[in-house]
Amino acid sequence: MARNKFDIDENLESPFDIKHFRRALVYIKKQKTPMIVAFVLSALSAGIALSAPLIMQHVVDVTIPAKEAWPLVGWSALMLATIVVSVILATIRSRIMTRVGQDIIFDIRTDLFKHLQELPFQYYDDRPQGKILIRVVNYVNSVSDVLSNGIINFILEILNLLFIGAFMFAVDAKLSLVILAGLPVFFAVMMLLKTRQRRAWQAVSNKSSNLNAYMQESISGIRVTQIFTREERNAGIFTRLATNYRREWMKTMYLNFLIPFSVDNLTTLVTTAIYFVGLLAMGPAEVTFGVILAMSSYAARFWQPILNLSNLYNSFINAVAYLERIFETLDEPVTVSDVPNARELPPIQGRITFDDVTFAYDPGHNVLEHLNIDVKAGESIALVGPTGAGKTTVVNLISRFYNVTGGRILIDGHDIAEAKLKSLRSQMGIMLQDSFIFSGTIMDNIRYGRLDATDEEVVAAAKIVCADEFIREFENGYMTEVNERGSKLSQGQRQLISFARTLLANPRILILDEATSSIDARTERLLQKGLNELLKGRTSFIIAHRLSTVKNCDRILYVADKGIAEAGSHDELMARRGRYYHLYTAQKMEA
Amino acid sequence: MFQLKWLWHNLRGDRTRYILALCLSVVGSSLTIINPYIGQRIVDTFISGDDALRNLTEERSLLIGLCLGMIGFSLLRTGLAYFTTLLYERASQNMLYRVRIYLYNKIQGQDMHYYDHNRTGDLMTKMTGDLDMVRHTMAWIIKTIIESLTVFAAAVVYFFYIDVALTWWLLLLSPPIFIVAFLFARRVRPMYTDLRERLSQLNTTTQENIAGNRVVKAFAREEFEVQKFTEKNVNYSKANKAAAMVWLDYFPYLETFAQGFNVILMLAGGLFVMNGRITFGEFSAFSALIWGLSNPMRNIGIIINDIQRFFASLTKIVEIYYAHPQIVNEHNAAVKRRYEGRIQFDNVSFKYDNATVLEDISFTVEPGETIAIMGATGSGKTTLINLIPRFYDVTKGRVLVDGTDVRKLELDELRGNIGVATQDVLLFSDTIDGNIAYGDPEMPEDEVEKFARLAAAHDFIRKMPEGYNTIVGERGVGLSGGQKQRIALARAMAVQPPILILDDTTSAVDLETEEHIQKSLRELDYSCTKIIIAQRVSTTAQADRILILDNGRVIEEGTHQELLARRGYYYEVFMLQNEGIGRQATALG
Repeated sequence: MARNKFDIDENLESPFDIKHFRRALVYIKKQKTPMIVAFVLSALSAGIALSAPLIMQHVVDVTIPAKEAWPLVGWSALMLATIVVSVILATIRSRIMTRVGQDIIFDIRTDLFKHLQELPFQYYDDRPQGKILIRVVNYVNSVSDVLSNGIINFILEILNLLFIGAFMFAVDAKLSLVILAGLPVFFAVMMLLKTRQRRAWQAVSNKSSNLNAYMQESISGIRVTQIFTREERNAGIFTRLATNYRREWMKTMYLNFLIPFSVDNLTTLVTTAIYFVGLLAMGPAEVTFGVILAMSSYAARFWQPILNLSNLYNSFINAVAYLERIFETLDEPVTVSDVPNARELPPIQGRITFDDVTFAYDPGHNVLEHLNIDVKAGESIALVGPTGAGKTTVVNLISRFYNVTGGRILIDGHDIAEAKLKSLRSQMGIMLQDSFIFSGTIMDNIRYGRLDATDEEVVAAAKIVCADEFIREFENGYMTEVNERGSKLSQGQRQLISFARTLLANPRILILDEATSSIDARTERLLQKGLNELLKGRTSFIIAHRLSTVKNCDRILYVADKGIAEAGSHDELMARRGRYYHLYTAQKMEA
Repeated sequence: MFQLKWLWHNLRGDRTRYILALCLSVVGSSLTIINPYIGQRIVDTFISGDDALRNLTEERSLLIGLCLGMIGFSLLRTGLAYFTTLLYERASQNMLYRVRIYLYNKIQGQDMHYYDHNRTGDLMTKMTGDLDMVRHTMAWIIKTIIESLTVFAAAVVYFFYIDVALTWWLLLLSPPIFIVAFLFARRVRPMYTDLRERLSQLNTTTQENIAGNRVVKAFAREEFEVQKFTEKNVNYSKANKAAAMVWLDYFPYLETFAQGFNVILMLAGGLFVMNGRITFGEFSAFSALIWGLSNPMRNIGIIINDIQRFFASLTKIVEIYYAHPQIVNEHNAAVKRRYEGRIQFDNVSFKYDNATVLEDISFTVEPGETIAIMGATGSGKTTLINLIPRFYDVTKGRVLVDGTDVRKLELDELRGNIGVATQDVLLFSDTIDGNIAYGDPEMPEDEVEKFARLAAAHDFIRKMPEGYNTIVGERGVGLSGGQKQRIALARAMAVQPPILILDDTTSAVDLETEEHIQKSLRELDYSCTKIIIAQRVSTTAQADRILILDNGRVIEEGTHQELLARRGYYYEVFMLQNEGIGRQATALG
């Protein structure tokens, strides 16, 4: 059962560490060359930009006092040239980095999505869909800038800091120490804020995740909400979630803006400290006015990159809150996957053997125990029995949606645990209880069963399941746009479309799980005729409650008590007067 | 301008706060201009001035005072900035909060027609990315605009005060900057609309993949899904790059112009100094504050970029914000009456997208009666019952409940009197208890259990590891179809409505369980009109009356026996379903 719902925060136990960034480095490394180029361009551009104040200084000190008009024009032209060159370099850098940033998040997003495709049902069952969605789209978007420009700027600022530091020490070591004296305070502030900030951003990401999960659920459940007139109450819940989000956001901001506040004041403090120490403590004997002047301007210049770095740090710590969610998803174990030397399953003949199969969703709660079934190729099997007895579980195991807990399942003598998943599932046609319709045309939805099917083949499949008629009644026929929630299609029509989709796949093994529950008896009868033709030579498993669906099967298995309670043809089971007989005759039909 | 009006309108409640923030922004950015002067004063008096040495020995207290003043001033300025920023954050968060809840209610209030035409992923994009853009606008864009303007204006005024001619020379750069900015704005706007659309598509594709993950796995379509996703991902990525590249087409001009202030100052200012028009000191004053002109100009590009993004997002938001459903729930039923449960269809026709779904339907259900509806797939059964709680409105004719046209009834009251178990079972990611008590969250636990028993759900719920506190996923994944249906049934019965509608609610339930449910329905301890859609004769047999729908018309109507005797559709279905178990229609009729 699910572990999470819309108002439960997802706690992460892993402590803060640089590990998340190291993992992100895998993605950044792919962009190494352009990033290095961009870095060099940035450094060049910054270097060239540095010449502007020098030119200005020269003009002020020499050219203007000398009243040399033409040299002034010359210097101005030179300055303009440096600006143009440095802007062009900066533009190229930005062009490169835009691509890098987009490519990095493209890769992360693709990996995330690919991984999601491999995750078992359980993963999806365990949490609201909105929480998965927000990771793939919003969270990944949030880390783009930090992982591209953030890194480059980080290095640039550090270099900048080192340069200025070196110059500073060259001028006066003692006063430099005064400037550095602010650093311990700075680090103390950062240390103090670090954990809180991280917690705060985590809380923000949790609350926004909750909010979105509820939003998404409200959209998909709107019909139920409206009929139960729960709008106001739901608005109350949503308001609560929005309040939580706002509260956490504000808390985070209180912490966040403390950093520029501290750095700004520290800069002022060290600058005044220079005056104090230089002018009052040391005096003109020890240090010249020129040095003090230079050092006071270095103080500001030294602390500017620190301010920039701490702003970068703010965005890093924000990004970590998203990165850890992203990597948590990427770390989610794939429980059903190809074993190391999995083999392609050859074309299936259709013999299926359950060899002493035991299965439990949760350890200790066996759903099936020591199950032995042998199905001949081409046989049609009906699974009946009380709801929740494990009928769906049996068919889910054949398609290896779950791994068996004990025993083996063989198809034509091959253990499916050792076959490649794709080669297994692509030869099976599985029609689930939940007939999901993708947004797109009806044609696309049926073609989902076999992507290279021609239009004629799609129509042929629709004809077999008696869907052709109603589809043609739509104004746009097969090209009618349908969607996940839309009521353009009735439930029965959805089932027929999803049935056509399954047939189109031309499966060797067909599994129908309550495939026709919403289809009326008459349509079902017509459908059965087409189906019988089609089922010849294919193994099929049919789960149904309706007798008319069940009784034509070669063999009927009554699933109960963690195993097969009765097995045989309809006539045999009726003759036995056991549970099957009871199931279909015990009802009092008199009016 | 509409956008500003919209923002202002939604700022209600925080207008004072926001205006205060704007004022403080003006003060704060003026302070940044004044700030360097204290430092300058220290340097002039004690370091580079002519009598620096003398001042240093004689005016120590002034030095200390200035230093302390500098620290105090810095604390004041940064404190003010901290306070101002938080004001912006608070105001913008409050606004985000209000708009978000407003939109949530808007979305909840839309009719089914709206939901048939809007994709979940698209609505989600509006509620996430687009809303965040609004917040960003309030917290950052407007703040930056105001601060840039203040600094620019202050610098211009100050410059005019020093020298008019030089200031005009400098301002010469402004028109080209504005022209480039304008051209940029015009070109980038459609790109952000496009980008916004692609984000929405990415969201939709991902959302559907997550929702349909079972189908994806069943068809082993993972690769196809990755392909489909990659296409959207590439599109989105491309659009992002394209928009950024357009920005980078204009960026060099804007940046060069902005930095060009320095060049003009040097050239024109230098010449002015040479011919004695301005003094050297005045030139220094200009150069000390030239950033006041260039920085705001540098911001223009970024601001325009974000404003265009905001416009693209706002366009999407107002689609919901001003969406007007045809069926409006005013939520103003003060006293909710309990209906008797008489339902009447009076020559009802219904068209959907120009296709006739129901035609000329008339029938009456008396309070307490049970009506069964049967018919072919797509014959209009679900549509018919959807008209009772007004998920849709009739095209012609009337639907009456207790003699009143449903369109004249208070929607909350009407729906509160109807319990529906829908065909497509939607549960919420909540506990089973919470799901059953969805209609009445205060329902005591033993009541919940009672209705679960009635719906034959108690036994399986009890066997779950956490019983009624087990959290079920959205769409009830993790439960079998029959289990979901029974929870939905319990949920509908728990409302104890005078009208209970069951839309094929027992299709996935085994016959034995169904019998239990039927018995419960017959023995409900509240009076209740029941409309039951079913495909199985075993479900319909006991109804007071059975309607057979075909192509939107009622083709047969009567009791089980009457319809069997007619040897029509119903008889045929009966025979199909009872073949092979030796039960004869005649034996029962």
